[in-house]
Amino acid sequence: MTDLARRRRKDILERMWSQFRSSPQGMLGLAILALFVAIALAAPLLADAGSLDPVTARGRGYPQWAPPGEFPLLGTDNLRRPVWAQFVWGSRISLAVGLAATVLTVVIGATIGIIAGFVGGRVEAVLMKLTEWFLVIPFLPLAIVLASILGRSVWNIIFVIGVTSWPWTARLVRSQVLTVKQRLFVDRARSLGASGPRLVSTHILPNISGLIVANATLSVPISILTETTLSFLGLGSAGAASWGKTLEDAFVNGAITRGAWWYFVPAGIGIMTVVLAFTLIGRTLEEIADPRLGGR
Amino acid sequence: MHPGVTPLLRVDDVHVHFGDAKAVDGVSLEVWPGEVMALVGESGSGKTTLIRAIQGLQRLTSGTIAFDGADPLAAGRTGRQAHHDGVQMVFQDPTGALNPRQTIYDVVAEGPRIRKADGHEREMVASALSRAGLRPPERFFPLYPHEISGGQRQRVVIAGAMVMGPRLLLADEPVASLDASIRGEILALMRRLVDEEELAVVVVTHDLGLAWNIADRVAVMYLGRIVETGTTEEILRAPRHPYTRALLSVVPEAGNVERQILRGEIPDLRRIPQGCRFHPRCPLFQSGTLPPHISARCTGEDPGGVPVGLVAGAACWATGSG
Amino acid sequence: MMTEPVLSLRDLTITYHTSGGAVPAVRGVDLDIQRGGSLGLAGESGCGKSTLANSILRLLPPGTEVQGEIMLDGRDVLDLNPGGLRAVRWTSGAIVFQGALHALNPVQTVGEQIVEPMLVHGTTADEKEAKRQAIELLGRVGISPDRFHSFPHQLSGGQRQRVLIAMALACDPLLLIADEPTTALDLMVQAQVLTLLQDLKEERGLALLFITHDLSVLTSACNDLAVMYAGRIVEEGSSARVFADPAHPYTRGLASAFPVIGDMSSRMAPSGLGGDPPTPGDLPSGCPFHPRCPLATAACLPEEPGLRPVTDDRRAACILV
Repeated sequence: MTDLARRRRKDILERMWSQFRSSPQGMLGLAILALFVAIALAAPLLADAGSLDPVTARGRGYPQWAPPGEFPLLGTDNLRRPVWAQFVWGSRISLAVGLAATVLTVVIGATIGIIAGFVGGRVEAVLMKLTEWFLVIPFLPLAIVLASILGRSVWNIIFVIGVTSWPWTARLVRSQVLTVKQRLFVDRARSLGASGPRLVSTHILPNISGLIVANATLSVPISILTETTLSFLGLGSAGAASWGKTLEDAFVNGAITRGAWWYFVPAGIGIMTVVLAFTLIGRTLEEIADPRLGGR
Repeated sequence: MHPGVTPLLRVDDVHVHFGDAKAVDGVSLEVWPGEVMALVGESGSGKTTLIRAIQGLQRLTSGTIAFDGADPLAAGRTGRQAHHDGVQMVFQDPTGALNPRQTIYDVVAEGPRIRKADGHEREMVASALSRAGLRPPERFFPLYPHEISGGQRQRVVIAGAMVMGPRLLLADEPVASLDASIRGEILALMRRLVDEEELAVVVVTHDLGLAWNIADRVAVMYLGRIVETGTTEEILRAPRHPYTRALLSVVPEAGNVERQILRGEIPDLRRIPQGCRFHPRCPLFQSGTLPPHISARCTGEDPGGVPVGLVAGAACWATGSG
Repeated sequence: MMTEPVLSLRDLTITYHTSGGAVPAVRGVDLDIQRGGSLGLAGESGCGKSTLANSILRLLPPGTEVQGEIMLDGRDVLDLNPGGLRAVRWTSGAIVFQGALHALNPVQTVGEQIVEPMLVHGTTADEKEAKRQAIELLGRVGISPDRFHSFPHQLSGGQRQRVLIAMALACDPLLLIADEPTTALDLMVQAQVLTLLQDLKEERGLALLFITHDLSVLTSACNDLAVMYAGRIVEEGSSARVFADPAHPYTRGLASAFPVIGDMSSRMAPSGLGGDPPTPGDLPSGCPFHPRCPLATAACLPEEPGLRPVTDDRRAACILV
């Protein structure tokens, strides 16, 4: 029997995939994302990580502030580091931080949303007060305070983003849980004697998972932008060179006044296109999960 | 009627209040094995709240509900589980009652899985589906609810209840959302289950034809109370309570009874009229033909509800047996 | 009758075009409703009755193919330009849908919603007059004038259905199309609404097209009855006769679903039809009812029977009549 169920589940996934495929915006997003994932995965083949170290770069005799014409691909920065290498390796950090922070956001948000929506009563009141509290705290000051207390590391950045951005997910999930909880099939399972965890796992989660995935996809770009913001403000990780860190370095070292556009433009375009890709994919998933949103 | 047999279900002076709204306001009833009892009333009469309370989906404000002699709410977790096995529910809207993400197999297997039942799940599911008239059952296993017809969905809901081997089936308007043509089949299925498996059924409905089709006894509910009870023949052929008479007169197929269309709708549950709760809409009271000593009681004294047991009765100062 | 009918359908054929191919929902229907007449259209879900109702005011989704002729109040609805169509809606024909909650705008008071069509169609001179008429209409459908400023959610289901009827009557139409107007209502409220429709019909000379799956409701509300199956009319005649003595086996099945209380033959013996209605996109060959018909023989298979006379005023589409 489980075979049968598995086959049917496969059918559903195939149907969703064919729906996704028929959406030009979704496929465009997927193509862009695939390109950047490929770059991130193939970073060791595309650029030498060693050249990111100013000492190595100087030792190799790379020029300083070289525009793309003078030094292959994208030129160099004030410390003679190739911008191309920064771009390639930075994509790793940006994508990883974006994804990891999103996982944290969704885990915290969905857990709180499900508990609040399903349990209800006083628990719900307390959890939703907490959520609202996090929502009204101005995000950036909180993130700055947290980041400066915790210190500068990739993990802390992920933590800061996760802790500050879950309330949106929690609210969305709670409202969905409240809707599904009203459905008659939940009553039916209850009258069969189903326990709370069973109700959540077999009846509520499967009916809201599509929206959670869509929401998660849409919060990846927010996480990436947040990482960029924090890095730009000098609160990013000290060692790892994310795109946001590249932007900060370029700004601090006067690339803009010098007119050294090649320093910051690649990272900027990278951030914009990845954010766009995730947004396109997320919107498409959202339409598949909840057909009322789409125009069809 | 059932001498020497103890009732399967005993509901004793049950109240369910939502704040000021008294949805169920003192109902007592008994149901015996092998019978169908129709709980008739309009929306707002409290009939759905009452069966949800019997199922354990709704907390009681006061009163007791005893299934097979035991109080499900007092008996703790194992008691509740036994109650769930023994009492199952069929819903008005079979489309809503089925999880769109579950296959028919998973829907029917859910009960046994929750109970961690011994025996072969596959056989149990197949047998329940075919008893509910879905044959061959294997054809339905992999289907999703949206892939079958409305009538078949209601059969799946019934199979999902019957797989637990219940002794009492609670049905909330089981055919109201189905096409007229499907109605007879589902009712015939329910009656057959009662006759063949010694099941008892409490069916909530506003459809008096349904009661005539399958019910042994009828209880009429108005504003949280049972205002008249008796055998189906007694209630539908010789109703005593003016409310039952009015309901019966507006059934389109009632024939040549003079139609008594009550004015207005069921009053707000938070403002239940004084005296007899039906008197503001009662054609008998409003006609002004009642003797003064009776009409004074209608406005001043609550006739109470009638307990649904072996004896027929009507909660009416003018026509009730007293 | 010699007068020109209010509504006349000739060979009406409606096809939906879906991703799964062409779905014939209505397949060649002829119907007439006289001024002040009432016709009940009965059938199961998917038989095409709601599609037919919506086609009269051209309320079908775009891309739906409508062939044949729809004459409403002497005008060919299928030929009307958008302006003419707007004029026909409300003034010649108006529709009352099932599910009164969804058909009303939740953020507008019920009064405003009745006044609006009057002003849009210029049937009243000014706002003041429209408001006066709206209050009168509300009173006529049994809703107190102080409800004028209520919002739909503040009313009960029965009251909302009455508001919808008042709305439909705002521009004094000749034909009222009621699509399952009482399905979600309680027995007593249903009786109230049916009586109201009956009274309005007599007072205003309103013609009524009443659509439902509940045959028993139609017998008390309509003079004539047409039974639809798989997009076609399979039986038509006076409603009392059709219900009491159905000629088509399908009508017989539908009628038997509603027992006569007190009739011992139906006591403890619920009956109805077996099986499910056919999918419009995949109709059985020959008589589309034959897979469910208790009387079907090999003779039913070769071709689909047309309507043939049973008595002077009744016709049925069955080879056995």
